[in-house]
Amino acid sequence: MHGLYNFVRGPLAWVAFILFFGGILYRLISMLLGARKKDGVVFDYFSLYYGLRSIFHWIIPFANRNSRQRPIFTIVTFAFHICLLAVPILLLAHIILWDESFNISWWNLPDSIADIMAIIVVACCGYFLWRRLTQPEVKFVTFASDYVILAIVAAPFITGFLAYHQWFGYKFMLILHMLSGEVMLAAIPFTRLGHMFYSPFTRAYMGSEFGSVRHAKDW
Amino acid sequence: MKKGTAALYIGMGVLISILTFMLMPAYSQEDIVSLADSALGDRERPAAVFAHEEHNEKAEIEECNVCHHVYKDGNKIEDESSEGQGCSDCHNIKEGYPTRPLMKAYHDLCKACHLENKKGPITCGECHPQN
Repeated sequence: MHGLYNFVRGPLAWVAFILFFGGILYRLISMLLGARKKDGVVFDYFSLYYGLRSIFHWIIPFANRNSRQRPIFTIVTFAFHICLLAVPILLLAHIILWDESFNISWWNLPDSIADIMAIIVVACCGYFLWRRLTQPEVKFVTFASDYVILAIVAAPFITGFLAYHQWFGYKFMLILHMLSGEVMLAAIPFTRLGHMFYSPFTRAYMGSEFGSVRHAKDW
Repeated sequence: MKKGTAALYIGMGVLISILTFMLMPAYSQEDIVSLADSALGDRERPAAVFAHEEHNEKAEIEECNVCHHVYKDGNKIEDESSEGQGCSDCHNIKEGYPTRPLMKAYHDLCKACHLENKKGPITCGECHPQN
């Protein structure tokens, strides 16, 4: 147990972090170089003001027409993304590991709140799955990989929830939790999950084009 | 009451007091089954399970200062121990400097030794079981 725990927490965690940060850097640089080569207008028309204006309208729920047209999807997707980011970063058990490893710590969520937020993440994943399976317009753009990605995202929260409650096979579940978290980190730069870093760029470019070229709102 | 009877009662009283006093430290140690340090205040998880006597027997710890240590200028003083003091006398709850904050002191002390010896709990739930 000690050997496996140390391996998953030590070397494997480093591999995951290196793939995550290195992968993001690589993908962003290659995206910028690729755009420079094939799509020079992106740089010509890029506007910080219109870009930020667009991001601002899309980052606030119901501040754009699309989100008002789909209120349920808007609520689900905002709840999902907030919980998805807040739980892993603000969980006490995770902060204790940061503190032990790097001597840094910050404010934590009460465990009871984090517990509910983990359930929200998993429930939202269920909603996304249902949507991909049943809604024709979503089904049409769904590939097998999208289900795998959904599973990759849900897994750390399911295993983390079960490990926290220690319902069955605590130590095994904890190892699974760490492994699934590492898989997710490593997968982010190389899958559609990369929108975590791409979306501000695509949004900002849309905003730039709509704002300074078409003189129209893009929200 | 006869003089002899009174003397007997007083004598027994003194004897019981002495015995109680002698047994008290032993009892209190055996009584320790968790690290429910009140200085920690409200805790997120249940207090860490820790049977003092059983642990030391199993881990073959004989010196008190393996855990009840005394540090001076960052160095452990080998022949001094601090078992009469509360951990929180030195380890403050939040602002740890120059010592570790209380929770971190517990975590580091237990886990470092368990990892070094490849024995004993090292994950959250092994020490803090949910009821």
